[in-house]
Amino acid sequence: MTNAIEIRGLNKTFGPKRAVQNLDLDVPEGSLYGFIGPNGAGKSTTIRMIMSIIFPDSGELRVLGKSSAVESKDRIGYLPEERGIYKKMKVGAFLKYIARLKGLDSAEADKRTKEWLVRVGLADTYRKKCEELSKGMQQKVQFVASVIHEPDLLILDEVFTGLDPENRRLMRELIREQNDAGRTIIFSTHAMFEAEQLCDRLFMIRSGEKVLDMPMEEIWRTYDPKTVVVEPIDASDIQKSWGSLPSVKEVVETDGIIELRLIDNADVGELMRQAASMAPVRRLELKRPSLEDVFIELVGGDAAAIRKELRSNVKPSLQEVSRG
Amino acid sequence: MGKVFIVAWKEFLATVATKGFIFGMLFPPFIMTLMIVMMPILMNKKAPTVYGHVAVIDPSGLVAPRIQDAFSAEKIKERKDKKLREVMEAGSKAMGIDPDAAKQMKEQADSNPMAAANALIPETNLTVTVLPPTTSIEEARKEILKATGREQSAEGTSARLALMFIPEETVRTSELDAEGRPNFEAYQLLTAPLLDIEVQQDIRDQTNRAIVDARLADAGQNPEKIRGLTAWPKVEEKSVTKEGDRSTNKVAKMMIPGAFMFLLWISTFTAGQYLLTSTIEEKSSRVMEVILSAVSPMQLMLGKILGKGAVGLLILLLYSSAGISAMIFFAYAHLLAWQNLIYLFVFFMIAYMVIACLMASIGSAVNDINEAQSLMGPVMMVLIIPMMLWMPILRNPNSMFAQVCSFVPLINPFVMVLRISGSEPIPTWQIPASILVGLLTVAFMCWAAAKIFRIGVLMYGKPPNFATLVKWVRMA
Repeated sequence: MTNAIEIRGLNKTFGPKRAVQNLDLDVPEGSLYGFIGPNGAGKSTTIRMIMSIIFPDSGELRVLGKSSAVESKDRIGYLPEERGIYKKMKVGAFLKYIARLKGLDSAEADKRTKEWLVRVGLADTYRKKCEELSKGMQQKVQFVASVIHEPDLLILDEVFTGLDPENRRLMRELIREQNDAGRTIIFSTHAMFEAEQLCDRLFMIRSGEKVLDMPMEEIWRTYDPKTVVVEPIDASDIQKSWGSLPSVKEVVETDGIIELRLIDNADVGELMRQAASMAPVRRLELKRPSLEDVFIELVGGDAAAIRKELRSNVKPSLQEVSRG
Repeated sequence: MGKVFIVAWKEFLATVATKGFIFGMLFPPFIMTLMIVMMPILMNKKAPTVYGHVAVIDPSGLVAPRIQDAFSAEKIKERKDKKLREVMEAGSKAMGIDPDAAKQMKEQADSNPMAAANALIPETNLTVTVLPPTTSIEEARKEILKATGREQSAEGTSARLALMFIPEETVRTSELDAEGRPNFEAYQLLTAPLLDIEVQQDIRDQTNRAIVDARLADAGQNPEKIRGLTAWPKVEEKSVTKEGDRSTNKVAKMMIPGAFMFLLWISTFTAGQYLLTSTIEEKSSRVMEVILSAVSPMQLMLGKILGKGAVGLLILLLYSSAGISAMIFFAYAHLLAWQNLIYLFVFFMIAYMVIACLMASIGSAVNDINEAQSLMGPVMMVLIIPMMLWMPILRNPNSMFAQVCSFVPLINPFVMVLRISGSEPIPTWQIPASILVGLLTVAFMCWAAAKIFRIGVLMYGKPPNFATLVKWVRMA
């Protein structure tokens, strides 16, 4: 399989801040790749380097087989994190302008603009000024602007920010649709659950360093659940000697829910059977780790602090990211 | 290159196809044209005739008959025709109208002398009433208060519009001042409050003249002869040029180069401003990175400069063609040297490119229009120089100062346009030399602007100063 993007030993510093350190990355063609990590981890910097908007200090980068995205700009769709629209321009004119800049001829640009506006439920905005749209509608227009020329590679930076749940779902559908059409998609997010639901490969970055890069199934397989959750119907059953079950390393009880931490290579099936026979239970499940758990496990250190870092909504100022 | 033109076309439309532009740019020339066309029609409208009488108290009895004579119907018409001729002659002389055209206009005016003069001088139908020398001023002035100002339309009324009290000492006196000149007394002139200002002036002039004539006659002189002797000499002024003598055209001499420079300044600067605001808008609305995903910063900058340049050119064409057609209309076309229009175009290109590069750099580096102001300050200070110094440069296009300014980047296009279109020829080598300086400036500015633009467009945060911009230029 060929790679849409190949990165070798990429480095970028902004003043004293090492935004990206020694990064290697392969994005196979047709994959739906999630870039995740806390704010300021280096996601947007990496994406901007892929897009040749900023240039790496050192390292090699190939995009769609070319040494720079500049050479294949018309085959790439890009929705930047810092995105806007011309306030005074009409929606239709804006999309047509972008489509023309992406190499479509005038008639084709107009046709696709109209088709796409219908598709995202904004057909009546063709003649409206961009400033008249709500934030969510603008976001959809921007998304259309990034896919209107049917790119081979689609890069979406923080695509879900600012969308309400309904539009998030629409956005997920649109992204899947693009992927099903064979397009390589990279999207970055600091919200890990979005990535969990969507991508088939994952790239995790923190403080400019890669912490994880593998297919989703492999992640689930590698970061195998090592915890079984038991919730007995009768509260008194909590006291039973759950620790005596095979493969159990440790028992943690919180609010009537018991978590059995298992040893490596535990026989989960056998354990579940025995646990079910010990007491009637309301719930008995093999816990599936969230990406957040995986991330914490990979990074190590204070779990609570990392959780906080991941969920912080305070965006680091762009000055820090791009000027240093 | 295709993308550059797509950007340029969009930028051009974004500016030109707005109500603000159409109103701001097209309206003034439109109004000017309208006025030029409407003027003769408006001129033909007669000012209303003023009816009434002027009362004179003249104890000496020397002045009143002369005033009466001055306001006889023939004398009034005579004055009016004379004034009209004077206005026409003075006008054509000052503006340096082509002598043939001036003659033609004069003939026209002679055949229809009322046309313009009617607007200037209202028709008067005044009688002069001589009051007995013993009349008290207090009594006589009461009549003036009855004047309503409607006398202009009410024929047949004879309201008192003015009252003159001319003491005998105004006409003859034995008193002498320190230098031995007769020391005459003042006379009083009381006028109705709403009296037409031209009529007031006429009454004053005629009274003054009647008094002076009375004094001369009283001293045994012939007033007409004295007037003839003391009239200002007529002058025939011509400037000597290689092409032959030309009537001097003082106003045109100043106006045409000034207009050329002003046109250049307005068009380049307006376009530059549009470029600045549109670049800032792209940055502050964060649309920049979206656009940069489709075009390179260089393509974007080039497209923007071209697009707004087309706007500037449109302004230049619009205003200059309006100006030129006005000149043709008023028979001034001979004052235009057509090769100067070509120079105007060349220097427009140079001036615009330099300003555009500055504006693109500033616009790309700042986050909003307020931050731009602080960077604009020094630029404006340099650019305002030609505006402030056009008079001295024009008066002496070959002064050391003017020559030096012709080679100072940034202002040289403006200075050169002034000097070239001025009446004094400048050393020929200076024109290509100044153009060369301009082109080198353009090349340097483009190079620097490209570097600043590339870095600036994606920079947010602390507003940069000039030192930062220089750093960016050296960095990239």
